[in-house]
Amino acid sequence: MAQRFEYAQAEEIRDVFARHGVRYLFIGKSGAILLGYPDTTQDADLFLDRSEANGSAAVDALRELGFDLTEPQADEISRGKDFVQLRSGPFDLDLVFAPDGIETFEDAWRRRVEVEGFPVCHPDDIIRSKEAANRVKERESLPRLRAFRDYWLRTRR
Amino acid sequence: MPREPEERERREWEAEFEAASRRPLRTRLRYAFIHTYKPVLDDATYRSFASMAEYRAWCAESLPSWLGYGPAV
Repeated sequence: MAQRFEYAQAEEIRDVFARHGVRYLFIGKSGAILLGYPDTTQDADLFLDRSEANGSAAVDALRELGFDLTEPQADEISRGKDFVQLRSGPFDLDLVFAPDGIETFEDAWRRRVEVEGFPVCHPDDIIRSKEAANRVKERESLPRLRAFRDYWLRTRR
Repeated sequence: MPREPEERERREWEAEFEAASRRPLRTRLRYAFIHTYKPVLDDATYRSFASMAEYRAWCAESLPSWLGYGPAV
Protein backbone atom coordinates (compact mmCIF):
# COMPACT_ATOMS: atom_id res chain seq x y z
CA MET A 1 0.00 0.00 0.00
CA ALA A 2 1.21 3.50 -0.79
CA GLN A 3 2.37 5.79 1.97
CA ARG A 4 0.06 8.40 3.34
CA PHE A 5 0.52 11.68 1.50
CA GLU A 6 2.21 14.17 3.81
CA TYR A 7 3.90 17.54 3.62
CA ALA A 8 7.18 15.88 2.65
CA GLN A 9 5.54 14.28 -0.40
CA ALA A 10 3.94 17.58 -1.40
CA GLU A 11 7.38 19.19 -1.12
CA GLU A 12 8.85 16.43 -3.27
CA ILE A 13 6.25 17.03 -5.99
CA ARG A 14 6.86 20.78 -5.83
CA ASP A 15 10.64 20.48 -5.96
CA VAL A 16 10.96 17.66 -8.50
CA PHE A 17 8.29 19.11 -10.81
CA ALA A 18 10.00 22.50 -10.61
CA ARG A 19 13.36 20.96 -11.47
CA HIS A 20 11.83 19.31 -14.55
CA GLY A 21 9.89 22.42 -15.48
CA VAL A 22 6.46 20.77 -15.24
CA ARG A 23 3.49 23.16 -15.44
CA TYR A 24 0.80 21.91 -13.06
CA LEU A 25 -1.67 22.97 -10.41
CA PHE A 26 -3.03 21.19 -7.38
CA ILE A 27 -6.75 20.77 -7.89
CA GLY A 28 -9.64 18.95 -6.20
CA LYS A 29 -9.86 18.47 -2.50
CA SER A 30 -6.09 18.26 -2.13
CA GLY A 31 -5.86 21.73 -3.66
CA ALA A 32 -8.54 23.04 -1.31
CA ILE A 33 -6.68 21.54 1.66
CA LEU A 34 -3.51 23.37 0.63
CA LEU A 35 -5.56 26.58 0.66
CA GLY A 36 -6.64 25.83 4.23
CA TYR A 37 -9.82 23.81 3.79
CA PRO A 38 -10.11 21.43 6.75
CA ASP A 39 -11.16 18.04 5.42
CA THR A 40 -9.73 14.63 4.58
CA THR A 41 -8.80 13.03 1.29
CA GLN A 42 -6.82 10.03 0.08
CA ASP A 43 -4.83 11.23 -2.86
CA ALA A 44 -3.40 14.30 -4.52
CA ASP A 45 -4.91 15.60 -7.76
CA LEU A 46 -2.75 17.47 -10.23
CA PHE A 47 -4.00 19.44 -13.23
CA LEU A 48 -1.29 19.41 -15.90
CA ASP A 49 -0.85 21.64 -18.90
CA ARG A 50 -1.41 19.46 -21.96
CA SER A 51 1.58 19.64 -24.26
CA GLU A 52 4.01 17.01 -25.44
CA ALA A 53 6.90 18.76 -23.70
CA ASN A 54 5.03 19.12 -20.42
CA GLY A 55 3.81 15.52 -20.53
CA SER A 56 7.34 14.23 -21.13
CA ALA A 57 8.68 16.41 -18.31
CA ALA A 58 5.94 15.06 -16.03
CA VAL A 59 6.93 11.47 -16.88
CA ASP A 60 10.56 12.18 -16.00
CA ALA A 61 9.51 13.87 -12.76
CA LEU A 62 7.14 11.04 -11.81
CA ARG A 63 9.84 8.45 -12.40
CA GLU A 64 12.23 10.44 -10.25
CA LEU A 65 9.58 10.50 -7.53
CA GLY A 66 9.44 6.70 -7.65
CA PHE A 67 6.42 6.00 -9.86
CA ASP A 68 6.90 2.79 -11.79
CA LEU A 69 5.65 3.57 -15.32
CA THR A 70 5.79 1.26 -18.30
CA GLU A 71 6.61 2.73 -21.70
CA PRO A 72 2.96 2.61 -22.90
CA GLN A 73 1.87 4.34 -19.68
CA ALA A 74 4.60 6.97 -20.05
CA ASP A 75 3.46 7.52 -23.61
CA GLU A 76 -0.16 8.07 -22.53
CA ILE A 77 0.91 10.64 -19.96
CA SER A 78 3.19 12.37 -22.45
CA ARG A 79 0.29 12.64 -24.88
CA GLY A 80 -1.93 14.04 -22.13
CA LYS A 81 -4.67 11.46 -21.81
CA ASP A 82 -7.55 13.22 -20.06
CA PHE A 83 -7.40 11.37 -16.74
CA VAL A 84 -4.76 9.07 -15.27
CA GLN A 85 -4.80 7.31 -11.91
CA LEU A 86 -1.44 6.29 -10.51
CA ARG A 87 -1.25 3.73 -7.73
CA SER A 88 2.23 2.51 -8.59
CA GLY A 89 4.30 4.96 -6.63
CA PRO A 90 5.15 6.19 -3.17
CA PHE A 91 1.71 7.84 -2.86
CA ASP A 92 -1.55 7.88 -4.79
CA LEU A 93 -1.78 10.50 -7.48
CA ASP A 94 -4.44 11.46 -10.02
CA LEU A 95 -3.35 13.38 -13.11
CA VAL A 96 -5.96 15.36 -14.96
CA PHE A 97 -5.36 17.12 -18.24
CA ALA A 98 -8.92 18.25 -18.89
CA PRO A 99 -10.86 18.78 -15.67
CA ASP A 100 -14.59 19.25 -15.93
CA GLY A 101 -15.71 22.86 -15.66
CA ILE A 102 -12.39 24.56 -16.56
CA GLU A 103 -11.89 25.80 -20.09
CA THR A 104 -8.10 25.81 -20.36
CA PHE A 105 -5.01 25.35 -18.25
CA GLU A 106 -4.01 28.94 -19.03
CA ASP A 107 -7.28 30.23 -17.52
CA ALA A 108 -6.66 28.29 -14.33
CA TRP A 109 -2.97 29.26 -14.29
CA ARG A 110 -3.82 32.97 -14.42
CA ARG A 111 -6.13 32.56 -11.42
CA ARG A 112 -3.78 30.29 -9.44
CA VAL A 113 -2.85 30.80 -5.81
CA GLU A 114 0.67 30.14 -4.49
CA VAL A 115 0.82 28.53 -1.05
CA GLU A 116 4.37 28.08 0.25
CA GLY A 117 5.51 27.60 -3.32
CA PHE A 118 2.71 25.13 -4.19
CA PRO A 119 0.72 26.23 -7.25
CA VAL A 120 -2.96 25.70 -6.46
CA CYS A 121 -6.13 26.28 -8.46
CA HIS A 122 -8.25 29.18 -7.27
CA PRO A 123 -11.09 27.94 -5.04
CA ASP A 124 -13.61 29.09 -7.69
CA ASP A 125 -11.98 26.69 -10.18
CA ILE A 126 -11.96 23.85 -7.67
CA ILE A 127 -15.66 24.44 -7.05
CA ARG A 128 -16.44 24.75 -10.76
CA SER A 129 -14.77 21.42 -11.49
CA LYS A 130 -16.64 19.71 -8.68
CA GLU A 131 -19.95 21.24 -9.78
CA ALA A 132 -19.38 20.03 -13.34
CA ALA A 133 -18.38 16.54 -12.16
CA ASN A 134 -21.75 16.32 -10.37
CA ARG A 135 -20.95 13.24 -8.30
CA VAL A 136 -22.79 12.12 -5.19
CA LYS A 137 -19.82 12.87 -2.96
CA GLU A 138 -19.51 16.35 -4.46
CA ARG A 139 -23.17 17.14 -3.86
CA GLU A 140 -22.60 16.38 -0.19
CA SER A 141 -19.39 18.35 0.18
CA LEU A 142 -20.04 21.40 -2.02
CA PRO A 143 -22.00 23.54 0.48
CA ARG A 144 -19.10 23.39 2.95
CA LEU A 145 -16.53 23.99 0.23
CA ARG A 146 -18.47 27.05 -0.98
CA ALA A 147 -18.62 28.35 2.59
CA PHE A 148 -14.83 27.89 2.75
CA ARG A 149 -14.38 29.81 -0.52
CA ASP A 150 -16.37 32.72 0.97
CA TYR A 151 -14.32 32.59 4.17
CA TRP A 152 -11.05 32.40 2.20
CA LEU A 153 -11.96 35.39 0.02
CA ARG A 154 -12.93 37.39 3.10
CA THR A 155 -9.83 36.61 5.13
CA ARG A 156 -6.99 36.07 2.64
CA ARG A 157 -4.03 38.34 3.26
CA MET B 1 -28.66 20.90 -6.49
CA PRO B 2 -26.62 20.95 -3.28
CA ARG B 3 -28.71 21.89 -0.28
CA GLU B 4 -28.45 25.26 1.45
CA PRO B 5 -26.69 24.96 4.81
CA GLU B 6 -28.44 25.97 7.99
CA GLU B 7 -27.17 28.96 9.96
CA ARG B 8 -25.93 26.67 12.74
CA GLU B 9 -23.88 24.69 10.21
CA ARG B 10 -22.40 27.87 8.78
CA ARG B 11 -21.27 28.95 12.23
CA GLU B 12 -19.70 25.54 12.92
CA TRP B 13 -17.90 25.57 9.58
CA GLU B 14 -16.58 29.09 10.17
CA ALA B 15 -15.18 27.96 13.51
CA GLU B 16 -13.50 25.00 11.76
CA PHE B 17 -12.03 27.28 9.07
CA GLU B 18 -10.73 29.65 11.77
CA ALA B 19 -9.13 26.80 13.69
CA ALA B 20 -7.53 25.40 10.52
CA SER B 21 -6.14 28.81 9.58
CA ARG B 22 -4.16 28.84 12.83
CA ARG B 23 -2.40 25.54 12.02
CA PRO B 24 0.73 25.46 9.89
CA LEU B 25 0.41 23.84 6.48
CA ARG B 26 2.56 20.89 7.54
CA THR B 27 0.09 20.08 10.34
CA ARG B 28 -2.95 20.58 8.14
CA LEU B 29 -1.60 18.10 5.63
CA ARG B 30 -0.80 15.54 8.32
CA TYR B 31 -4.45 15.49 9.41
CA ALA B 32 -5.93 15.80 5.93
CA PHE B 33 -4.53 12.82 4.04
CA ILE B 34 -5.75 9.42 5.10
CA HIS B 35 -5.36 6.09 3.42
CA THR B 36 -8.09 3.50 3.45
CA TYR B 37 -8.63 0.78 0.90
CA LYS B 38 -11.26 1.61 -1.73
CA PRO B 39 -12.53 -1.49 -3.48
CA VAL B 40 -12.01 -1.66 -7.25
CA LEU B 41 -10.51 1.83 -7.35
CA ASP B 42 -7.36 0.71 -5.53
CA ASP B 43 -7.11 -2.68 -7.25
CA ALA B 44 -5.08 -1.51 -10.24
CA THR B 45 -1.76 0.31 -10.21
CA TYR B 46 -2.62 2.34 -13.30
CA ARG B 47 -5.77 3.43 -15.13
CA SER B 48 -6.27 5.98 -17.85
CA PHE B 49 -9.29 7.44 -19.59
CA ALA B 50 -9.55 9.24 -22.90
CA SER B 51 -12.12 11.67 -21.53
CA MET B 52 -13.64 12.67 -18.23
CA ALA B 53 -16.98 11.40 -19.52
CA GLU B 54 -15.41 7.97 -20.03
CA TYR B 55 -14.00 8.12 -16.49
CA ARG B 56 -17.38 9.12 -15.04
CA ALA B 57 -19.09 6.28 -16.90
CA TRP B 58 -16.51 3.81 -15.59
CA CYS B 59 -17.04 5.06 -12.04
CA ALA B 60 -20.81 4.71 -12.36
CA GLU B 61 -20.57 1.19 -13.77
CA SER B 62 -17.65 -0.27 -11.86
CA LEU B 63 -17.44 1.26 -8.41
CA PRO B 64 -19.66 0.42 -5.43
CA SER B 65 -22.27 3.16 -5.13
CA TRP B 66 -21.42 3.84 -1.50
CA LEU B 67 -18.05 5.27 -2.56
CA GLY B 68 -20.00 8.23 -3.93
CA TYR B 69 -18.34 8.44 -7.35
CA GLY B 70 -21.59 7.93 -9.23
CA PRO B 71 -23.63 10.78 -10.72
CA ALA B 72 -25.81 12.86 -8.43
CA VAL B 73 -29.43 12.65 -9.55
